[in-house]
Amino acid sequence: MLRERSAGPASAPRSRVAISFGSPAAESGATRLDLNEILIRHPQAAFLMRITGSAMREAGIDDGDLALVDRAMDASPGHVVIAIWGDEFLCRRLQRTGNKLCLVATDPDVHEINGCAGDRFEVWGVVTHVIKQVSG
Amino acid sequence: MYALVDVNNMYVSCERVFKPALHGRPVVVLSNNDGACIARSNEAKDLGVQMAQPWFQVKHLERSAGLIALSANFELYGDMSSRMMSLAAAYAPRQEVYSIDECFLDFEGVPTDLQAVGRDLRHQVLKWTGLPTSVGFGATKTLAKLANHVAKTADRKPGSYPQPLAQVCDFATLAPAELDAVMASTDVGNVWGIGSKTAPKLQDAGIRTVLDLKHADAAALGRRFSVVIEKTVLELQGTRCLDMDDAPLVHQQIMCSRSFGNAVTELPDLVEVTSGFAVRVARRLREQRSVASAVHVFIRTSPHRAQDRQHAPSATMPLPRPTADTRILVVAAVQALRSIYKPGYPYAKAGVMLLELQDDRQEQQASLDLFDAPEQKQPDGRRDLMETIDALNERFGRDAVSIASAAKRSTHTAHASRQHRRSPRYTTRLDEIVTVRA
Repeated sequence: MLRERSAGPASAPRSRVAISFGSPAAESGATRLDLNEILIRHPQAAFLMRITGSAMREAGIDDGDLALVDRAMDASPGHVVIAIWGDEFLCRRLQRTGNKLCLVATDPDVHEINGCAGDRFEVWGVVTHVIKQVSG
Repeated sequence: MYALVDVNNMYVSCERVFKPALHGRPVVVLSNNDGACIARSNEAKDLGVQMAQPWFQVKHLERSAGLIALSANFELYGDMSSRMMSLAAAYAPRQEVYSIDECFLDFEGVPTDLQAVGRDLRHQVLKWTGLPTSVGFGATKTLAKLANHVAKTADRKPGSYPQPLAQVCDFATLAPAELDAVMASTDVGNVWGIGSKTAPKLQDAGIRTVLDLKHADAAALGRRFSVVIEKTVLELQGTRCLDMDDAPLVHQQIMCSRSFGNAVTELPDLVEVTSGFAVRVARRLREQRSVASAVHVFIRTSPHRAQDRQHAPSATMPLPRPTADTRILVVAAVQALRSIYKPGYPYAKAGVMLLELQDDRQEQQASLDLFDAPEQKQPDGRRDLMETIDALNERFGRDAVSIASAAKRSTHTAHASRQHRRSPRYTTRLDEIVTVRA
């Protein structure tokens, strides 16, 4: 989970000055936009994972990205999901083929996982957002 | 009606959410410095590993039976606990967080199908957090605890109880004869508040099952043993002796929490409340001559005020070594609070919980350790100081002497513990989150 760190002692004088001018937010009744509230619909079910690999690049998911995962949502075909396959976590798109659900990568060279015996998977959560660092 | 909700094998279950390879394998979680087994998967229980058994006694099972041992990861358990607790809180008008992995819910005045509520709750916690729970309903807290034991045992050992009672067990759905049959097949030592010292004495007196205890003469047992047992018998008969937030009959964990009459939004107010809680739990810890390995702090807005912005965070501070020192416990609690507090939220409740209590004589032995930080030494002098503080408070009233400016002292509590087998802190450290292959 994202947690706010407390300000260190060095910043204490500054915040005291700010308090003496009152809180503009409180007066206008507005609250500063909070990414937690914008991105996270189910806080108790929200988890962050780090992407490694490039088999989902065409879905906008690159090596090093942060995936925001929601376990509360029911996974449907078309969703990008985190799945458990064997003993490892995989990021793939859930897809319906015939009457079966399978996991597919956007990279056509990567084998699909069809859920048959010996190739079973279990959906762990739905990827709702991907956060990528572009500078800094 | 009360419900008791708890997570099955909490610490192991938390580990399994983030490491699929642990499913179906025997797993134990070890205490500070990898000394003893403080949590066991069902598979580890089946191998005969006992609760609190020293690690060196079962270490051979690593090679012979594939036993996996992990160091305690209290930051992870604390965060997963707060997710579970805040989900459970929304199901009933009142919640009492009783330990890191269990809470009572009070359904007083809620006319509904509780069995269905229990199934919903269990399903939601499992889906949202990955943690498997057991839910027990009863007319008293002691009965709810017993129903929880039945729910968990029926699930783990098919055939031990009727299968419909597995996972979620509501005693109110049983006919009197059925409830008696359940009680008759349950050993008296499984009753909340009957410790391992009392159970054999009761058995000597011919009280072997829960049903025997329920039918016993409460007043006579009260005279012969203790008022605790008298109350336990009355609670088994359906007479409420313990209300929500009443001190538990036995102190297996130490915790102090309070709902606020008016919401609290300012950090200094919460620091004061939290420090006060930490001082109180520290005193209770020393009264029972124990030491704690970690401090868990939670604050939360009211889940029943949908108009409020909701925030229900918690944090767990592992201590460099088990301690009962008020100063260290207060500093850790305030550090935890500062790391989770966000301005602008109307907090309705706060609490401080001490985790993994152990006898302080073991701790003295361990303090001969060569690797202690200098400030961690001189345990005797500190013990004297703490006893003096307790004595002064006893004489001049609670909190006559307290820890001033404790919050300003810095300690290095987070990283010092020597835990060689600790898993990543998947949900509280960005550089330790799960890596997923794409």
